[in-house]
Amino acid sequence: MNKYAKLLPLVSVALLSGCIQDEPMNAECDIEYASVSVENPTDIFYHDYDTLQTISTVTDSIGFLVRRTAQVGMLPLTLQATEGARVLIVDGNEEVPFVNGTPLDFSNEQKHRFKVVSQDGGWSRTYEVKVVRDSNFDYDHMYMTFDFEQYSLESGNKYYVWKETDPIATGYWIGNDPMWKNGNPGYKLSVSSAKPEDYPSAPIAGGGPDGSDCVKLVTRDTGAFGRMVNYRLASGSMFIGEFDVANALKDALAATLFGVPFKHRPTRISGWFRYIPGPHFQNRDGVILPDSIDQPDFYAVMYRNQDAEGHEVRLNGADILINPHIVAMARLPHPNHGLTDEWQYVVLDMVYREELDPELLENNGYSFTVSVASSYRGGEFEGCVGNTLYVDAITVECEY
Amino acid sequence: MMKIRQILPILLLTTVSALQAQEDEWEKWGPTDKQSKVGVLLRAGYTIGGTTPLPLPEEIRSIKEFSPKGGATVGVDAYKMFSRRWGASIGWHFFYEGFHTVAEVKNYKMSLTMEGNTMSGYFTGTDVTNNSMWGMTIPLLATFRMSPRWNVSMGPYASVFITRKFDGRVYDNSKGVGYLRVDDPTGEKVNIDRENPATYDFDENMRTWNYGIELAFDWKALRHMNVFGKIDWGLRNVWPENFDAVDFRMYPIYATVGLAYRY
Repeated sequence: MNKYAKLLPLVSVALLSGCIQDEPMNAECDIEYASVSVENPTDIFYHDYDTLQTISTVTDSIGFLVRRTAQVGMLPLTLQATEGARVLIVDGNEEVPFVNGTPLDFSNEQKHRFKVVSQDGGWSRTYEVKVVRDSNFDYDHMYMTFDFEQYSLESGNKYYVWKETDPIATGYWIGNDPMWKNGNPGYKLSVSSAKPEDYPSAPIAGGGPDGSDCVKLVTRDTGAFGRMVNYRLASGSMFIGEFDVANALKDALAATLFGVPFKHRPTRISGWFRYIPGPHFQNRDGVILPDSIDQPDFYAVMYRNQDAEGHEVRLNGADILINPHIVAMARLPHPNHGLTDEWQYVVLDMVYREELDPELLENNGYSFTVSVASSYRGGEFEGCVGNTLYVDAITVECEY
Repeated sequence: MMKIRQILPILLLTTVSALQAQEDEWEKWGPTDKQSKVGVLLRAGYTIGGTTPLPLPEEIRSIKEFSPKGGATVGVDAYKMFSRRWGASIGWHFFYEGFHTVAEVKNYKMSLTMEGNTMSGYFTGTDVTNNSMWGMTIPLLATFRMSPRWNVSMGPYASVFITRKFDGRVYDNSKGVGYLRVDDPTGEKVNIDRENPATYDFDENMRTWNYGIELAFDWKALRHMNVFGKIDWGLRNVWPENFDAVDFRMYPIYATVGLAYRY
């Protein structure tokens, strides 16, 4: 009898499996990978791996960064789309099926438009592919100032995004993607009803020390969905890099990708801050720890973005402060950060562990990030809900 | 011809006595109380089944595991036979029924609302569901005696769920693929894996009562004992019409086999 009892689930599965219908066609229509083929990649690109890109599902603009001096003409392009999806190249009003490997004219930063239609024909997305020429890097003693004055609601009107307009920063560092990054896209997933001003990172009009706009970073409770995945709070943050929302639930630390290639030698960072601590420190499980205190964070890190074997190195929330590829760092002291409810100007020197290699620097071999957060252990989902850090006028000073 | 004349009376005789015996059988296996033809059945059985969309939607790609949870029914039926073949019964059954299933899904439309926040989109990966409920059922059945010892009954029933559990979790499938496309298939992709699955709990969303059709077979094994099998086929979606976390209607379909004391 026991033997038959064990068979019962198997029989049930067999019976139910008989009812499985044919597989539905794919509804997705992403470009997953994009690549160009050239004989000697490093003639026009900085690294071999720059010719192949993994495309995030939130991106619709694909750019291949080439050296400032590169001669770019016809490049054979390959786009790998979702299985079964059709890729069309858009030329004016015409949409023609695109054959992978077709050479396209990328001279003069010419853009090409594509439309991807899902296998089931129900969905489509459009993309733009271009080659971006890198900026000049000869510049003596430069300053970048980030005032956070240029902000707007993102396309879904859920939260604010900040665009950097400082001409030095956009001209020499983050020209490809001049947007500040933060955890707002992840917060949207868990607290869909939040108003834009209640996101962890939000602007305050006229709130700065000089009466200009500033940024308010608040550690927020992530509600029922946050508890569902054991991510109970979200620290307010602003950083240079990329927020990979695809991994926001799977591995939140790895979703925070820091740094963009940088060809200068930063010596000092500074900024204006005002800090109001939240009432109770909670650990990852939401347990209040009366003896623990939360702290804000502000740091800059310069690191080598390639390992000894030539593989790409991208620091994330797990190793941004400890990875051995770090060459220089400046960080707000802990626990004696000295910030209070009054606006305060903070200057931090970059401390170099090794001197920069000029050739590596010229070849985009270093990446640099600046980061601020309302909870210094927010990446581990620990801290005080309500911790508030006001930020304005961050500057980066470079020797060259 | 002579032969037929001799055989005919014998044939007639045997037919009559067979009919007589048949009549005794109907009498013997009929209601215990020959006057009122009213009686009761005390039933106890093992219940197995599930709450399922019908047919299985194409988004469900495979069922990796299915197992019934517990599953028992006890109850009482009162019946009355109106004629030799026809009767009716009304019952009051208590049940505990449920199932556990692991299914791989593709583009499974879902929408979760918790504390006023909604997360919706299309999920591809593994969905684990645990469902169980305590409740009671009142079946109102017409009974037909197919033979002296075999009864078939059919009729409507109504169930009330005293406790309801419907929860589960989602994560990646056997190929390591598990993700939600937020809002629609072009929305951002959010990976979900078994290290950090997303859990859900729809206990409160389930409707508190259901109705359906019951079909039961009884075989009178002993003078006071039946062996029975029945199926309760729910006809009411277990989710309210405005509930969109699950994109399809689901119906409880449970079968019970057991023994009954018959009076």
